Amino acid sequence: MLVQTALSPTKFDKNASTFVAIGATYEGRDFDLLERMLPLVDYIEVTPETIAEVHDHEITLSDEVMTELKNIGKARQIVVHGVGLSIGSHEGWSPTYFRLLDDLLEQVDVAWHSEHLGYTKVDDQHLGIMLAMPKTEEVLDMVCERVNKIQQRYNLPFLLENIVHVIPDFPGDFSEARFLNALVDRTGCGLILDVYNLQCDAHNHGFDIPRFLNELQLTNVRELHVACGVEHNGFLLDVHSQLTRSSTVQLAQDVVRRSEGSAEVVVYEFMPEAVPGMGRDAIAEELGRLRVAFRN
Amino acid sequence: MDLATHQRKLLGLFRSNYEVRQDDDAYIQRIARSKDLEEARGNIFLWRVWVLERTAPLTFNLLKRRHLLQETVCAFIKGHNISPFRETQAPAFLGALSGHHDSLTASVARFELALLKVKQGDPGFYVVRWEVEPHTILNSLARNLPLEDKIPEGAYEVHISRELPSQFQIVRVHGEGGPSLRDIEMDTEERMRKYPECRQDWPS
Repeated sequence: MLVQTALSPTKFDKNASTFVAIGATYEGRDFDLLERMLPLVDYIEVTPETIAEVHDHEITLSDEVMTELKNIGKARQIVVHGVGLSIGSHEGWSPTYFRLLDDLLEQVDVAWHSEHLGYTKVDDQHLGIMLAMPKTEEVLDMVCERVNKIQQRYNLPFLLENIVHVIPDFPGDFSEARFLNALVDRTGCGLILDVYNLQCDAHNHGFDIPRFLNELQLTNVRELHVACGVEHNGFLLDVHSQLTRSSTVQLAQDVVRRSEGSAEVVVYEFMPEAVPGMGRDAIAEELGRLRVAFRN
Repeated sequence: MDLATHQRKLLGLFRSNYEVRQDDDAYIQRIARSKDLEEARGNIFLWRVWVLERTAPLTFNLLKRRHLLQETVCAFIKGHNISPFRETQAPAFLGALSGHHDSLTASVARFELALLKVKQGDPGFYVVRWEVEPHTILNSLARNLPLEDKIPEGAYEVHISRELPSQFQIVRVHGEGGPSLRDIEMDTEERMRKYPECRQDWPS
């Protein structure tokens, strides 16, 4: 089971049905945005790959952003959410990711770290996108072994997130929910449930969200992600470029209610490229809306 | 289902370099024909575009204004193993375009790559040669203004170094009001002596 961290800056009323902390993504170097967000969030989510720089052909964390994170960490909790581990690649994961994570964890206290249940490279050739693995016994064994190694390496809770399916799922041995349940049962890792990804899958592939939620052991969900993208050629895209839809927030509220207090934080995710278009004030207003939705 | 084979075939489909065979399993055949794959390839293109718009804005704007963006980015995606680390994408993209057959595209990409390097602390002294007057073009691209129809031709160099005010300067190689090519070369040699780590990445 997860090691519970008791670092929360606010006390959470577990009796209130949708009472969870609020978090937001931040990639550094945008003080105007940070200044607006900090009063409204309890957690800042940081992605090692997006705060990395290249110096002399070596990828390292930005000193400038790490200084920011150290300061942020004095007031808010930090959670690490990677994108480049590629836990599902047949040939193995990315060693660069661990080097960055090691460096980050040496410098900043984090509540937990997490990654995506997918793969981004094949034979060290980058896909340019993240794909879901077939839900087979073979893949479950492989992922469980890797999750166990990660948990042995770091004395921190580790969570995995359901990813969006950009192509239809391979007909495997497990349903999406049963695969996640088995993964947690065998490893004790936690889950991030990205409810916008579920909505994309429902829109694009007819994914049955109510059935999935009924089948998923929701008490394994520790963190939720909300986001919004655009519709293009009839597909709902997971591009994190918009303010959330009310249906996404309602879905997240439903999961929080049913998680029996295991869900601790709802993180609003957006890309830095989308900030100018959305506006920093609008992002702050969005966090304010989420605060009302999940803190009342 | 063998995971390695499965993933290799999907990689090939995403990179448009795998032809589905009759003995491929039904899933691979279905994906190859799907609109989802087409749309996902478009998503990859959009991710690259968003990153490059922010990290290589001058070259990005030039390609956009010349209606070369889609063709160029698609060729880059197909031909390169693009790292997921965003900060590596602009140098890789600009490096690839530094040898572009269109001399203006090559000059802008070389300039932007050199500027990126010196901004990150590179001690090098870079010289990029231009066949047109650079100021007008760089000003338009930096301010996202339309390019002028008639760009004055001429032999110019843009010098890029962290030692320079504003980190770069435009020099007319020959013609009225400009130093001679010999002056430029001597100036460059002097800088090379002063900064032994200096280098010129691009031959004329």
